Amino acid sequence: MTAVEEAPVTADEVAGLRAEVARLTDERDALRAQMQHRDGELEVATRMLAARAQTMTSVIDAVTEQSIIGTDLDGVVRVWNPGAEKLLGLPRADVVRRRLITDFHLPEELAGAGGGLTALVELARVEGRDVRDWTYVTATGEERTVSVAVTPRSDDSGEHAGWNFVATDMTEVRASERLKDQFVGLISHELRTPLSSILGYLELVLDDPDQPLTDEQRSHLGTVERNAQRLLRLVGDLLFTAQVEAGHFTLQPEDVDLAGVLRAAEETARVAAAAGEVQLDLVLPAGRVTVRGDAVRLGQACDNLVSNAVKFTPAGGRVTLALQAGWRAADGGFTAEERPGTTPVARIAVSDTGYGIPAAELDQLFTRFFRASTARRNAVKGVGLGLSITRTITTAHGGTLDVASVEGQGTTFTLTLPR
Amino acid sequence: MEQPAPRVLVADDEDDIRGLVRLAVRRADCTVVAEVADGAAALVAAREHVPDLAVLDVSMPGATGLEVCTTLRAEAATAGVRVLLLSAGASADDVARGLAAGADSYLAKPFSVAGLVARVRELTAGVSA
Repeated sequence: MTAVEEAPVTADEVAGLRAEVARLTDERDALRAQMQHRDGELEVATRMLAARAQTMTSVIDAVTEQSIIGTDLDGVVRVWNPGAEKLLGLPRADVVRRRLITDFHLPEELAGAGGGLTALVELARVEGRDVRDWTYVTATGEERTVSVAVTPRSDDSGEHAGWNFVATDMTEVRASERLKDQFVGLISHELRTPLSSILGYLELVLDDPDQPLTDEQRSHLGTVERNAQRLLRLVGDLLFTAQVEAGHFTLQPEDVDLAGVLRAAEETARVAAAAGEVQLDLVLPAGRVTVRGDAVRLGQACDNLVSNAVKFTPAGGRVTLALQAGWRAADGGFTAEERPGTTPVARIAVSDTGYGIPAAELDQLFTRFFRASTARRNAVKGVGLGLSITRTITTAHGGTLDVASVEGQGTTFTLTLPR
Repeated sequence: MEQPAPRVLVADDEDDIRGLVRLAVRRADCTVVAEVADGAAALVAAREHVPDLAVLDVSMPGATGLEVCTTLRAEAATAGVRVLLLSAGASADDVARGLAAGADSYLAKPFSVAGLVARVRELTAGVSA
């Protein structure tokens, strides 16, 4: 019998096998370590996700003054926060999956807007969001005016899954706004009526050819008239400010000849300038400069700038009203000639050699009721509405109002309007 | 023979304003046929006297000047009465509302007496001829 002899394992082979075992062991350990690491990561991620969901829920649940309602694409309520419970008077369990968002809207209002869920979400569908006033009807049948922000809602895969309705109760705010409007209207009427009598009868006394006044009487009654006119302007300014706030400010656009506006502003300011010994100069271009705008409001804006300049300039000083037609570059720069990329503008500059405005106060200059320290120090009369009104008028015309000032040297206001 | 003076109705709830209007009407060589202090009385007086011109305050108790104006226009007997509205509201919207109600003219308070005289003359020009 021939013995089959196994080939003896060489030392090299043993070494190779050992190395392979060692490599596999290392690989196994590495995989194990990796698995443990992934396991840890998964745990952290799970914990974070749970924490995040908890945070979201707790934030939504903590909102008690805004109603947050989420619906599916059919308008069925899926999310109903405590703010919604409080505003609409129904617990979450009674609403979620059982009611439609449209159930809580005033039916006539919804019908007037086109009806159904579409009326509520159409604009948000097109523009991504929509904020406006609606009327909610609570569980007890009470109507509440709410400002509702509507946005589309996505699911975890980013698909459009429904709508969010975040509502703030504006019932009291809107009521007080209406009250303020009525109050301003009433005040305006109640102040204008006696002022009409004062100014009308003053006119009769001042212009009576049968009973001429002495110079002193005329001067005293002139003071009465000036102050009555001042009161009247103040009433007008307050009414204008209230109208702007209430969004009731509208322009009556027509072609306006700005030279005419500036001539009128110069004429209006002439008496005050002469009394204050301030020289008033008008610099007009040869041709007509016309803009599309509201002549009365532009006149008011120019009057404000010129009367301010006169008031802020001590005796011996000078106020210049200048009108220029030109072009505005994209960077806001003004040029007298048309260049590529420029737009035609008209520029009104009112410069004075007066007290000036401290640099630190220039930012606040257009804030309502703000008065520059130089105005208070030099006892310049006013309530601080003129510049805010002037800027509102300018902005409504698509223009800009800029100011440059050096304390002790003077101020220039530049009103630029598109033409 | 001298033409009779144009006849004017004055309606305003403020005594003092009525006084000014009365004076302006006389200075415009017109006669005040009635002076009333509220809208309802203005309608009664207008139907009774059928004046050439009615000077109406917009904010009156009873009926506003705008309501009075609309009613005057709607009734055959008074449809031809010229109407001048006086109002403490001076916005363009106020003027538009006044003219939409059928008023011939609109004057904002405070008005100048001389301006009112001119306006009354304008509105009554030709009616006595």
